[in-house]
Amino acid sequence: MDRALKRRLEARLGAQIRGPIRQRHDQTEIRIQPGGLPDVLRTLHDSVDLRFEILADLAGVDTGREMQVVYHLWSETTPDWLRVIVEGLSREDPRCPSGTFLWAGAEWLEREAYDMFGIVFEGNRDLRRIFMPPDYTSFPLRKDFLLPDDSARSPGEGVRHMERPFAPAVVAGDPADGVRRAPAS
Amino acid sequence: MPTRPARSTTRTTTRAAARPKEQPAQHRSEDDPRIMLDRQVSADLYQPIPPYPTRTEREAEFYSLGDGQMFLNIGPHHPATHGVLRLVVKLSGEQVVDVDPVLGYLHRGVEKICENSDYYHVIDQVDPLEYVSSLFQEWAAVLAFEKLMDVEVPARAEYIRVLSGELLRVASHTLFMGFLALDLGGLTPILYSFIERDEIVEMLAALTGARMLFNYFRIGGVNGDLNHDFMSRLGDWMSRAARQTEANTGLLNENEIFVRRARGVGVMNREMALRFGVTGGNLRASGIPFDVRRAHPYSVYPALDFNVPTRLEGDSLARYLIRMDEVRESIKIIDQCLHQMPDGPVMARLPRLLRPRPGRAWGAVEGPRGMLGVYAISDGSDQPFRFRIHDPSFMNLEVVSHLLPGNLLADTMAIVASLDPIMGGIDK
Repeated sequence: MDRALKRRLEARLGAQIRGPIRQRHDQTEIRIQPGGLPDVLRTLHDSVDLRFEILADLAGVDTGREMQVVYHLWSETTPDWLRVIVEGLSREDPRCPSGTFLWAGAEWLEREAYDMFGIVFEGNRDLRRIFMPPDYTSFPLRKDFLLPDDSARSPGEGVRHMERPFAPAVVAGDPADGVRRAPAS
Repeated sequence: MPTRPARSTTRTTTRAAARPKEQPAQHRSEDDPRIMLDRQVSADLYQPIPPYPTRTEREAEFYSLGDGQMFLNIGPHHPATHGVLRLVVKLSGEQVVDVDPVLGYLHRGVEKICENSDYYHVIDQVDPLEYVSSLFQEWAAVLAFEKLMDVEVPARAEYIRVLSGELLRVASHTLFMGFLALDLGGLTPILYSFIERDEIVEMLAALTGARMLFNYFRIGGVNGDLNHDFMSRLGDWMSRAARQTEANTGLLNENEIFVRRARGVGVMNREMALRFGVTGGNLRASGIPFDVRRAHPYSVYPALDFNVPTRLEGDSLARYLIRMDEVRESIKIIDQCLHQMPDGPVMARLPRLLRPRPGRAWGAVEGPRGMLGVYAISDGSDQPFRFRIHDPSFMNLEVVSHLLPGNLLADTMAIVASLDPIMGGIDK
């Protein structure tokens, strides 16, 4: 945990950050709005005391209630990984600005997030499916895409929500904040 | 005796029996709906241009031909593509103008499968991703889960992880050397590569029980302690590993054809490597000393003495030489592991059923091809709510559409091979 990084982030980004900056193990986490993403990435990349130059990862997340885009960044100025969570994307029409203006390599990562979650990255000039066939219509990593699969059977929970054929997963809150899945109806 | 002939079992034979005897046998299959003859296949099947309107700006730009240009489909089945990769290449004469890599032929949905398996089950699901060096993918997953669960790993287990990981890194880099030479037309180095790799893989089989898909790392440690078979094989190998490495690299380093075809080809400069998120030896060959083992230390790497080799040229030759330097460093690390290895347990005490507290964790390790990352989200149940796999080959391959233009078609495979992609990891 790098306390100094937390202070620097607060000084540089201030109002852009939603909620508290969380730190656990070797990770620092900030949450931002999709509209502020280009500014935040630019600040993180260019500021002399931040210099997050290496894009470690870009992942889509479906919490069951909303979509998120999660960046992991690395900088030589801090021993922590920085996690930038772009939250509040609607599940019906998830839209997020593209990060390709800064990291051209984000293009394929965004194509993957589009392919798996249907998140539309505005500004990506090659946003087509990357793994699934071009005529495929659904988004496999969404939580309402169910696998009728025996391997989903687990000794702990009995019949899992993934096995219920017609009931999409309903999550009351952000799963990582301790809100458990809604009970089977 | 029945007056009617017995009814034959299939339609094909019935027809054939009705025909005159002199009919050539090959015409029989024409009526069989299960068999498709070559001339019945539409020529469109082999066209590289997709049979639907272009969807994006980039696609429209790529699939419009200029004067004197043509498309060439390489793959998905091609011996030099290191798996089922398809490259649609736009050519002007013999010069590559543009490339559109088409992925997904090996897509298995491992992330989805992992989100539907419990935490122990994930480890053997991620094994076949980077099938040449599968311990590293296990390592990334296990590292993320240990952060999620606040598990303290015993020191001996960490040393065993580093030891087996570095052995596999040597095997992977040696195999890379052979395949790079093979794609440049040299047949000899691959034989030496496989000798070297086979020894290491057999050694690891003595330790883990499997040659390729090890399923050896566990959350909180490793599956088994070092055994006599492994140690005797390792001692045997270590006594001549350094010498053997020099001999193997001598095959290529002093080969004028190889050096001339690799030097100055596929140059990736510093800015380009950073912008494309390239990691591993490909990044270090462009002059950036980013190695997760040093940049963001994990396991016992802070206690070990090794260098992070870098080069400035950024061409195919530099990417090859970097990996050979890394083999030397890995042998140094293995030696130190054997000297520093403490006694003790190899597994932390954990419950049978893992239910980590809700939270998020990112774990990244340095694999032979670059940074392997796993982003895991727990919602408090015994399965990861989200399991994201970041594969270095995926990022390293993305850059080919910017490395290849301007080069000759004959260099295409040489450049792709120098990036060392593994399609199992790229397609997930």
